[in-house]
Amino acid sequence: MIAGWENMSSSQRQEAFLAKWASGEGIEFASDEARVSYQYRAGLIMDAVKLKKTPDRVPVVPLATFAPIMLYGYSAKQAMYDPHILGKVCLDYTRDYDVDATLVPPMVMHGPALEVLGYHLYKWPGHGIKEEQGYQFVEKEYMKAEDYDHFIADPTDYWFRVWFPRTHSSLEPLAQMPPLYGTMELPMAGPWLCALGAPPIQEAYKALLEAGRISFEWIQALGPYIGQILSSGFPMYAGSATKAPFDVLGDSFRGTTQLMMDLYRRPQKVLEAVDRLVPLMISMGVGGALANNNPLVFIPLHKGADGFMSNEQFKKFYWPSLKKVMIGLAENGCVPCCFVEGGYNQRLEYLAEMPQGECVFIFDRTDMAQARKILGGKSCIGGGFPVSLIITGDAQQVEVETKKLLEMAAGDGGYILSIGCAMDEAREHTLKAFIQAGKKYGKY
Amino acid sequence: MQDLVNAVAEMMEDEAMTLTKKYVEEGMPALQIIEAYKDALSIIGKRFEECTYFVPELILAGEMMKAASEIIKPLMKDGQSNVETPRIGKFLLGTVEGDIHDIGKDMVHMLMDINGFQVRDLGVDVPAQRFWDEYKEFQPDIIGMSGLLTLAYESMKKVADGLNEMGERDKVKVIIGGGQMDEQACKYVGADAFVTDAVAGINICKGWVS
Repeated sequence: MIAGWENMSSSQRQEAFLAKWASGEGIEFASDEARVSYQYRAGLIMDAVKLKKTPDRVPVVPLATFAPIMLYGYSAKQAMYDPHILGKVCLDYTRDYDVDATLVPPMVMHGPALEVLGYHLYKWPGHGIKEEQGYQFVEKEYMKAEDYDHFIADPTDYWFRVWFPRTHSSLEPLAQMPPLYGTMELPMAGPWLCALGAPPIQEAYKALLEAGRISFEWIQALGPYIGQILSSGFPMYAGSATKAPFDVLGDSFRGTTQLMMDLYRRPQKVLEAVDRLVPLMISMGVGGALANNNPLVFIPLHKGADGFMSNEQFKKFYWPSLKKVMIGLAENGCVPCCFVEGGYNQRLEYLAEMPQGECVFIFDRTDMAQARKILGGKSCIGGGFPVSLIITGDAQQVEVETKKLLEMAAGDGGYILSIGCAMDEAREHTLKAFIQAGKKYGKY
Repeated sequence: MQDLVNAVAEMMEDEAMTLTKKYVEEGMPALQIIEAYKDALSIIGKRFEECTYFVPELILAGEMMKAASEIIKPLMKDGQSNVETPRIGKFLLGTVEGDIHDIGKDMVHMLMDINGFQVRDLGVDVPAQRFWDEYKEFQPDIIGMSGLLTLAYESMKKVADGLNEMGERDKVKVIIGGGQMDEQACKYVGADAFVTDAVAGINICKGWVS
C-alpha cells in the first residue's frame, strides 16, 4: 500500500489514494500524450473533490448506463449478451464524446449469468423488458417482518440461505442448507457436508458456479476494451459501488411499502438492521476500490429524498448509518460519491455535517444554487442538469442551460458537471453540446 | 368516536384496531365507523399536504383502512357498501408503457381517492391503446400518467398525441408525474401539467375540477 498509511488521517489517505489513482500508476498508456490526458482528467476530478485547489476547469462527467449503447445503434439486450458490443461501444463513446471520466462497463451486467441464476430481482431486456430498454428493479417484500432477528444476528447467513433462494430461482435449494457453523469441528462437519451432497443443493451450487464461469469469460472478453479506455487516457468514474444501509433494506429486502410501515411498527429493528449493514457496506466499497485502484466509491441514494420521509425520520433512520458508511470509506482513503436521486432541498444541512473535502454529492433535482450555498467550500458538489433537455431539447438550449448551471454552481472549484441521472438514453447532438459547453464555460 | 379518529390520524395502528373491534362489538353502525376512518383520512391527507406527513404515514394509513374494512364490510347491509360519497371528478391513472414502477402511482391513487376523485387505475406498463380505450369508456376529467424512467417521455407523448388525433385532447386534462418530469418534458409530451411529487398533483387536479 501507500507509505506512511498507518499514520495518516482520513483526508491524507484520500489525498494519497487519489494521487496514486490520478497518476495512472499501473496503466500501460498507448502514448505519452494519453498519459498526460489521463493525468489531466483525473487531476480535474481530484482537485474538485479535495477543494484545496481550483481545477483548470470543471470536470465533465455525465453518468450513463445504457445511453452509449443506444447512441451507437445497439439494443440493451445486445449489450447485455455480447461483451464485444458492450466493450466496443464504451470505448467508442468515451473517445468520441471525450468525457473526463467514463462509465464502468460491468454496470451493464451479463444477461446469460442472470438466466442461469433464474434472477428475479430485476427484469432485463428479453426477460420482462423490451429488447431495446435497460433493466428495471422489481421491488417486493423479499424479507419478511419476522426475519429481522435473523438478518440482524447474521446478515451473511440470512443473505445466503434466505434471500438468495427468494431472489434467484436456481438457488432455491440453498434454503435447505444448514448454517456454515457446523464446520468448526470434525464431528459437526460431517452433517454439514452431507447436506451439501443432496442433489438439489448440488444443482444450486452448479448453477452458481456456472454463472461465475460465464461471468469470468465475459469479463475476460470485456477486459481488453476497459484496458484500451484507460490506456488511451480516460479514467473510470468509480472504483466500486456501495449503498446507504436504509436503501439496502428498502430496495432489496423489505421493499418501500413494508419498510416505511416498519418505521412505525418496528422502529428499533429498522435501526438495528441498518446499523448492522454499516460495516458490510464500508467493506464492500473499500474492497472494490482497492481492487480497481480507484478511490471513488459510487453510492446511489434512493429513499431518503424530500417527500419520502420527514426530516425527523431522515435524521433518525436514514442519515446516521449513511454518514457512518461515508466516514468509514473516508477512513480507508476512499471518496464516497453520493448520487443524490430526487430532491434533497430539505436535507442539505445534514449533508453539510460531513468533514470538509472528503466526499462528493452529485445531485438530481436539488436546487443547485442552494446546494452551492450550503455545501460550497465543504463538499464537492455536482450534477443538476436535467436529462429531459438532453432527450427532448436542442443543442442551443443545452448550451444555454449548461452555461447557466455553471454560473450558479461551479464556484471557484468543488464542482463536477454531470446530468441529474444515470442516462438510459440520450441524443448525440445534445449530449455533445452539453460536454462541449461544459469545457468551454467551465474554464476557471 | 373521536378516539378512533385520533388513533388513526396519529398512526396508532394497534389502538385503532382495538377501538374498531370495540365499536363493532358494541353494535355501532358500520357506516358510522367508516365515517370515522374517513375523517381520519382527511386529517392525514391535510397533514400530507402540509408536509408533516410523508410516505410512511400514507402507506400505514392505507393499511389501517384496509384492515378496518375487512372487519366492517361483512357487517354492512346489502347496498350499503355501494353508498359512495359524492365524487368531485374522474381520474384515469397508469404508469406508461415500458415502465414498471408503481410506488408513486399508488400514492397518487390513494391521495386522489381521499380527495374525492373516482380513480380508475390501469396499473403499470400500460400501452397507449389501453389509455385510449379506457378513456372512451370511463370518460375521465383528467388522465394522470406516471413514469420514473426517461423512456416514459415517448410513451406519454404517444398517449397525448393519440388523444389529439381522436379530437378529444381539449376535453380532458393531462398531467404527468415522475422523478424526471419537468417543464421541458411537459412541453414535449403535450401535457397540461407536470409534477414530481404527489401532493402538488392533487392540488392541480382539484383546481381543474372545482
